[in-house]
Amino acid sequence: MKIVVCIKQVPSSNEVRLDPVTKTILRDGNQSVINPFDTYALEQAIELKEQLGGEVSVISMGIPATERLLRDAMSRGADRAVLLSDRAFAGADTLATSYALSLGIRQLGDFDLILCGRMAIDGDTAQIGPELAEHLAIPHLTNVEKIIDITQQEMTVRRNIDGQRQLLQVKLPALLTIAKDINQPRMPSISGVEFGEVAPFQSLNAAALQADVSRCGLNGSPTQVVRTSVPLRDNACAFFEGSLAEQVQALAAQIKEELK
Amino acid sequence: MNSLIKPLNEQYSEYLRDESRTVGMADSISFPVNEAEIIRILAELYQSETPLTLQGARTGLAAAAVPFQGHVMNLSRMNKVIGCRRDETGRIYFTVQPGVVLSEFKKMIDKKQFATQGWDAASLQAYDAFTKASRQFFAPDPTEDSATIGGMTACNASGARTFLYGPIRNHISAIRMVLIDGRIVALRRGEVFAQGRQLSLPLQNKDTLELNLPTYRMPQTKSASGYYIEDNMDAIDLMIGSDGTLGVITAIELVLMEHPKVIWGVSCFFDHEDVAVQFTMQLRSQVQHLAAMEAFDADALELLRQQKRQSSAFARLPDVPESYHYCIYTELHCEDAAEALLQLQQIGAVLQQCGGSKEHTWVARTEADLTKLQFFRHAVPESANMLIDRRKQNYPMITKLGTDMSVPDEKLTEVVALYRKGLRENQLQSAVWGHIGNNHLHVNILPRNEEDYQKGKALYQDWAAQVCRMGGAVAAEHGVGKLKTKMLLTMYGPQHIAEMAALKKVFDPKNLLGNGNLFVTEGGK
Amino acid sequence: MTGLIIDRENCIGCGLCCKSCAVGALTLQNRKAVLGEGCTLCGICLQSCPKNALSIVKEDKAVFDLEDYKDIWVVCERNEQGELLPVSFELLGKAAELAKIRGCRLGAVLAGNADTESQAKQLIAAGADLVYLCEDKMFAERLEPPFYRLICDLIKQYQPEVVLFGATDFGRSVAPRVAARRRTGLTADCTVLEIDPITGLLQQTRPAFGGNLLATIICPNHRPQMATVRPGILAMPVLDFNRSGEVIACSVPQGLVQTLHLLQTEPAAVSTSIAEAEIIVVAGRGIGNAKNMKLIYELAELLGAAVGVSRPLVDAGWAEYRHQVGQTGFTVAPKLMLSFGVSGAIQHLAGISRSERIIAVNNDPQAPIFEISHYGLIADCVEVLKELIVALKNES
Repeated sequence: MKIVVCIKQVPSSNEVRLDPVTKTILRDGNQSVINPFDTYALEQAIELKEQLGGEVSVISMGIPATERLLRDAMSRGADRAVLLSDRAFAGADTLATSYALSLGIRQLGDFDLILCGRMAIDGDTAQIGPELAEHLAIPHLTNVEKIIDITQQEMTVRRNIDGQRQLLQVKLPALLTIAKDINQPRMPSISGVEFGEVAPFQSLNAAALQADVSRCGLNGSPTQVVRTSVPLRDNACAFFEGSLAEQVQALAAQIKEELK
Repeated sequence: MNSLIKPLNEQYSEYLRDESRTVGMADSISFPVNEAEIIRILAELYQSETPLTLQGARTGLAAAAVPFQGHVMNLSRMNKVIGCRRDETGRIYFTVQPGVVLSEFKKMIDKKQFATQGWDAASLQAYDAFTKASRQFFAPDPTEDSATIGGMTACNASGARTFLYGPIRNHISAIRMVLIDGRIVALRRGEVFAQGRQLSLPLQNKDTLELNLPTYRMPQTKSASGYYIEDNMDAIDLMIGSDGTLGVITAIELVLMEHPKVIWGVSCFFDHEDVAVQFTMQLRSQVQHLAAMEAFDADALELLRQQKRQSSAFARLPDVPESYHYCIYTELHCEDAAEALLQLQQIGAVLQQCGGSKEHTWVARTEADLTKLQFFRHAVPESANMLIDRRKQNYPMITKLGTDMSVPDEKLTEVVALYRKGLRENQLQSAVWGHIGNNHLHVNILPRNEEDYQKGKALYQDWAAQVCRMGGAVAAEHGVGKLKTKMLLTMYGPQHIAEMAALKKVFDPKNLLGNGNLFVTEGGK
Repeated sequence: MTGLIIDRENCIGCGLCCKSCAVGALTLQNRKAVLGEGCTLCGICLQSCPKNALSIVKEDKAVFDLEDYKDIWVVCERNEQGELLPVSFELLGKAAELAKIRGCRLGAVLAGNADTESQAKQLIAAGADLVYLCEDKMFAERLEPPFYRLICDLIKQYQPEVVLFGATDFGRSVAPRVAARRRTGLTADCTVLEIDPITGLLQQTRPAFGGNLLATIICPNHRPQMATVRPGILAMPVLDFNRSGEVIACSVPQGLVQTLHLLQTEPAAVSTSIAEAEIIVVAGRGIGNAKNMKLIYELAELLGAAVGVSRPLVDAGWAEYRHQVGQTGFTVAPKLMLSFGVSGAIQHLAGISRSERIIAVNNDPQAPIFEISHYGLIADCVEVLKELIVALKNES
């Protein structure tokens, strides 16, 4: 079984502050990590490999420093890693990203299954999985909670779609986006860490992918951000006033308002 | 009665207990927010000769914060960070009030976000340098980080990283304390020293307290058993670990360190305790500069497995395979990943030497994984507590019976054999975990009924005597409080206990403060 | 030239852009900002500059002739029983406003296995000028392929300038498939939509960074401009059955290969853990005694809420551990938390801080719980409970 897992490098926290003096948005400088949603996809892939044999490849589009995260993925059980890295890929929205990923995956050769995290914690669009499946012309399923059965031709999975649980059969090759918390992403062992340091790693640029650069990066992105702002949030506690009866009335009204 | 002193009625009943599950009694309570209020309250209590017990967040395990009479002074509302300092070498210091909670303090340091209103110019300048400096941290890391700094100072708190960085004592540079009669002691490390065992302690009003320090020798192990006493000691060390018996600490200056650039956690699993103990001894002699060395025995691991099955709050606990019967957790603090990798390889080599396996290890290198391992470590005592709480419903007299004893390095195998023999012979259920690197294991006896409980208490006393014979300490980090006074007596003997009481009497002639902590005197319980 | 451009003349070397960069790609050299490695063109630094010295430039070889695209569409969605989802009406209401500003028509797309004709009438009453209808048994189940194929065919044929979907799981699975196939832009989970009457440019605003920021996005050179919109944000329109509109019967997508096969469905399990509860009533020490827990349970039942307690109550045996909220109990993040007699010890706050809305009742104005509450009531919580229960019963 040949499984590909898509991984994204994201900031370790979403904490952004508005500097009260300069009114600018400040990010708490922090480390990059593997998108937490992707860790469930990676764990699922490794479990499948342990069950059925085969190979797990991890792929990511990112800056050169992303190599560290891909080696981390290999320390946990992936067999090889590919990084798609090129200035031309920077500024990509989901369309341009999924395009580049599709080229990278094609370079890896035949595959049976692609697993993605449901969404990235920074972009949180949840669009890469379905868009990538479209570029690769394979079926996709989102929010998969459990893989029930799998053969070389098809798999049976359970997914949750707007509160309805569906038990489905899907023909392989297919792409699944994996729900959160469905498994326990494992930590590497000492042996795993040692493997990760020397494991097979490749970095491919736009030329190596024979990419159409007009479809990559900023230039290949139909959407662009024109404005970023901080939502107004009032943290001060508002106290009810008046007699006890009046306060309780106000409280009841507020509760009703919140539950609308 | 002045308005700061409130009657202790129903709504304050939670203040009669701490984490040891001991429940006490008191007539009144106060929540001072600054030193002036403390002095006013003390004045009234001193005049009426009312005994008082000091409290922080009540996370203590030795009932030091549990009152049995009189007044409770709770310092949790005195929780501001009041100043900052930077010395010539660039080290950063913060002065905090005793009610500052450790977890909040750590967050402020990490995010470099302090409330600086009211700070003087020198503090603001030092703070500015702090914000521009490299990442800092406060090294003491007791498992319970909802403890207050004041409480941690009173019991000389330790944590997993004490293995490398020492207890909180090593990180306190100044203390301000109000005595029961309202006089103030303000000490800075390095300024006032004893001459042999004679200490002239200067007070702020130019008075001096002449102290004959007790004549005992402290054990050469991790210890929080009674007053810290040494020849020519620094006076400030007398305050640290004094268990709320000498005065009310109103300000503590803490020193920070540069945060290690790289932290990795490594859990190594074994199928037998003996191999794990061997590994520990080899590891600490062969690999330098490890930050922690913690142990979890088979029963502790089984507790976690059960907890995970029973409670969805523990769903995110990692699964521990049934074949894993012992865990040694160690932590690497390094300048860079290359250094960490080298240390990791060294650990792997020691593992193989001892007959362990590099496969049966978990290496945490990311925040998420380190948090998982931290959760794992914290879940062990939590699970034991919850088990006891459930059993308590049928047997109300049962409480936690956890040892807190340490021995010198060369006695590790002997003390482990001692514990196992005692548990086996008495057929008691238990779980063992702790700071094995410091030969400081918490043997938690889990009584199933009253009989177990009594056997456990007797066994604990017996062990205390044996541990003392080995040159160890009866209270290595939780402090003596009220629950281990008998053990302290065993450790030092009546003469030295009397010396401690005499020392306290100089600070507190009417014996009002922290009655029942460390030793029992007339007027106490 | 593509990428981040620094106008060195305007740059005053204040360094604010360097601080706002998460990957450290900006540094100061000789008191001017300099771009190093690793810039992801995320754009956050742009507004950090007080002198507007930063800009992002792109070369967009657009292949879409914008003039060819007209009309705003809403793709309607039905649940497993075949009923129209409220979000479809919410979208039609908003889209009707946008169409009016733009001076174009509003189209609704509806596919289903039965009842689509009668539903089309509702869509017209909600503001649709056109309803593109496709009724066939291939749409009986909530499986994406027939839907995205149909929508792609319709977009190709009719060329709308805007296509909106509800940001349901299903919508968020179908829409990107369509966007990728049509090689156009898609914005996820929008909460605000605005349109320029002349250019027809849709301004799509959505939360980013887990809700800590709002981003406004445009799709200037590709068509249709696509967005999924969060349910429950837009207002429900008033239905006007006097409106008229056209129903266009659309042909079924051809040559669909069956790659998905639905075996079984069931409604998702309703979680009983307090950690999943949307509304929680929490009791603290202030309720005084075990008997008063009765009031808490009564209030919880009235509101359809779960019951939580702070730790001292479990210690005292007034409630079971499964109700315990806080660091050593359960961490909860409900939409609404009503807290009675909880002082707010740090361990408790740790377990509740991600609640969307906290209303606390405590007779101590200094109680730490008020520091993280949105609303507070300073009074004896038992009195408030009694009165509140009466007040709520009287309303219903």
